[in-house]
Amino acid sequence: MQLVLFWIFSLLMLLSAMGVVFFRNPVSSAMSLVLSFIALAAVFVTLDAFFIAVVQVLVYAGAVMVLFLFIIMLLDLREEKRRRVRLSAWLGGGLVVGGFISALLKVVLSLPALFVEKPALSHPLANDIEQVGYNLFRNFNLPFQVIGVLLLVATVGVVLLSKKELK
Amino acid sequence: MISPIVLEVCVVCLGIFLLMAESFSVKSNKVVLAHGAIFGLLSVFVMSFFIEANPAQMQSSGFYVVDGLSLFFKRFALLSTIITLILAVDYLPIVQRLVPSAKPGAGTGEFFVLPVFTCAGLMWMASAADFIVIFCALELVTISLYVQVAYMRRSLASLEAGTKFLILGALSTGFFVYGITWIFGMTGQTGLAEIQRNLTINTEANQMAILFGLGMVLVALGFKIAAAPFQFWVPDVYQGAPTPITAYLAVASKAAGFLILIRVLEPFFTVVAFQPKLILVLALLSGLTLIYGNLAAIPQTNFKRLLGYSSIAHAGYLLAGLAAIGDAFAGRAVVFYLCGYFLMTFLAFLVLIPVTKATGGDDIAHFNGLGRRSPTLALAMLIAAASLAGVPFTVGFFGKFFIFESIINQHFYGLALIGIVTVASGFYYYFKVIRAMYWMPPAEDAAPVTISRLSKSAMLICAILIVVLGCYPQLLMRILP
Repeated sequence: MQLVLFWIFSLLMLLSAMGVVFFRNPVSSAMSLVLSFIALAAVFVTLDAFFIAVVQVLVYAGAVMVLFLFIIMLLDLREEKRRRVRLSAWLGGGLVVGGFISALLKVVLSLPALFVEKPALSHPLANDIEQVGYNLFRNFNLPFQVIGVLLLVATVGVVLLSKKELK
Repeated sequence: MISPIVLEVCVVCLGIFLLMAESFSVKSNKVVLAHGAIFGLLSVFVMSFFIEANPAQMQSSGFYVVDGLSLFFKRFALLSTIITLILAVDYLPIVQRLVPSAKPGAGTGEFFVLPVFTCAGLMWMASAADFIVIFCALELVTISLYVQVAYMRRSLASLEAGTKFLILGALSTGFFVYGITWIFGMTGQTGLAEIQRNLTINTEANQMAILFGLGMVLVALGFKIAAAPFQFWVPDVYQGAPTPITAYLAVASKAAGFLILIRVLEPFFTVVAFQPKLILVLALLSGLTLIYGNLAAIPQTNFKRLLGYSSIAHAGYLLAGLAAIGDAFAGRAVVFYLCGYFLMTFLAFLVLIPVTKATGGDDIAHFNGLGRRSPTLALAMLIAAASLAGVPFTVGFFGKFFIFESIINQHFYGLALIGIVTVASGFYYYFKVIRAMYWMPPAEDAAPVTISRLSKSAMLICAILIVVLGCYPQLLMRILP
C-alpha cells in the first residue's frame, strides 16, 4: 500500500514539477508548483514525517506561493508569452540537462544498494514535532542561531530594497 | 580564557547595536556608524589574540572547530570588513546620490551595518566543521551580499548586478545542497570529521556516488571562488556593484570560498582512491580559469571589470596551489597568496574610489595623467598593479613563486607552463593602467583628487606591507598556520 502511494505521489510531484517549466502561462506554472509541493508533502506523510508535511503545505504551498501569485499578477504576462527561445539556448540547455541526467543515471545504477531488498519502514511512536524542536534547540543550536541572524539580515535587506523612499 | 564563539557573538551584537542606533538617531550623517563599526571590529580583532587554537576541542557538538587556520581566517574576515568600511565611508557621496531617500542621508546607514553581519557569517564559515553550519554561514554571507550589491537602487547597473548575483547564487546554492544530500546519503554524516572516518570504511561501490556529490559541491564552490567555467557572473556583478562591495566580494568572499574548499576537500584527500581524481579535476579547473581570466582581461577598458577578470585569474593560481596539495608546502603557499591578494586588491580599490569621485567614472581612461595630478595615489596604484602582475620585490611575486614551486615539486609541468604564460599576459593588462597614469595627458576638466585621512593610512599600510613582504616573505610565512 505504502509503495503504491509512494509511486502515485512521486510521479505526480515530478510531472507537476515538469509542468512548472513547460507551461507558457506563468499562472499555470505557479499552480503546478503548488501541486508539486502538495505531492511532496504527501510523500513526507508516507514516511511518517507528519510535521514536515504540514509545514510544507502551510509554508510553501500556502504562504510562499500566494506571494508568487501576487508577484505574477503585478508583472506584464504578455511579454513573457511573446518571448521566443533561441535554438542555441535550447541546444545549450539540452546539452547540460542531458549530460546531468546521464551522469545521474550512471551513478544511481552503480549503487549496489539499489538492488538490495530494503527492510520495511519502522513506525516508531515518536512525537515528531517534539523531535524537530528538540533537535533544533539542542543538537543543532548553532546553525539555528546562524539562521536567525540570516533572517534578520534578510528582513533589513527586503525593507531597504523595496521601500519606495527610505526615511 | 574566553570561549571562541564569543567573537562571532560580539560581531552580531555590534551589528544589532548599530542597526538600533541607526533607527533611533536623528542625525543625518551616518559616517559615525561606520566609525563605530570599524572601532568595534578592531576590538574584536584584538580580542581574537586572546583565544587559543585548540583543534582537538570541538565546540557545540562538532559543528565548530577552532584551529590555527580558522583563527587566521577570522582575522582575515575582520580586517577585510574594516577596510571595506573605510572604502564605504569614502564612497558614501555616490551611494547617497543613488539611494532613493526622503531626506538627505536617509537609507545610507545600513550600508555600513550590513558588512558587519557578513563578517559574522565569514567568521562562522572559518570555524565550520559540518556541512550544515557551512551551508547556513554561506547563506548568511551570500544573502547579505545580494542586498549590498543591489544597494544603489537608482543605478540600473547595480540592480542588474544584484539580480544576476541573486539568480546565479541561488543556482549555486541548489548545487551545493544537492551535493551535500548525496554525500550525506552515502556516508550518513554531515560532519567533516565523521565523513572522513566513514570514507575509509565505505565500500568501493559507493565511491562513484560520493564523487558525484563532491562534484556538485565543487560546482557550487566554483561559483563562489569564480573559477571557470562558473565565472560568468563575475564581470557584470563586479562592475555594477558599489565599489567597496566589489572589493569585499573580490577578497573576503573569495577567501572564504577557498577556505571552505580546503576544509571540504581535506577528508577526501585522505582517501587514496579519490586523491588522483580530485587533483586532476582541480588542475583542469585551474588551467581553464587561468587561461580564461587572463585572456579575457586583455581587451577590458573598465577598471572594475578588469579587476573582475583579474580576480578570476587569481582564483586560477590559487586552484593550482590546491591541486599541488600533495606538496607539504602548498597549503601555506595558498594562504600566503590569499594574504598578498588581500593587500594588493584592497590597495587597488583604495586608489580607485578617490579617482572615481574626482573623475566621475571607473574606466581605465579615468586614470589618465594621475601621475601628474596626484603622484602619491599614482605611486600606490603602481605598487598595487605591479604586485597584481607579480613583479619581483612585491608580495604578488612571492605568492606566485611559492605556488609555482609547489606545482613543479608535484611535477605538474603543463600547469606550470600555463601559469607562466598567463603571468606574461597579466603584465600586459595591468600595465595598461600604469601607462594611462604616467604616459597619458589628464583630462581638461579633471577635478583635484582628494583622499580622506582614514583611507590614506589604510593605503600606506597596504603599500608598505606589499613591499616589505615582497622583500622578506619569511615575516608572514612564520606566522601562517
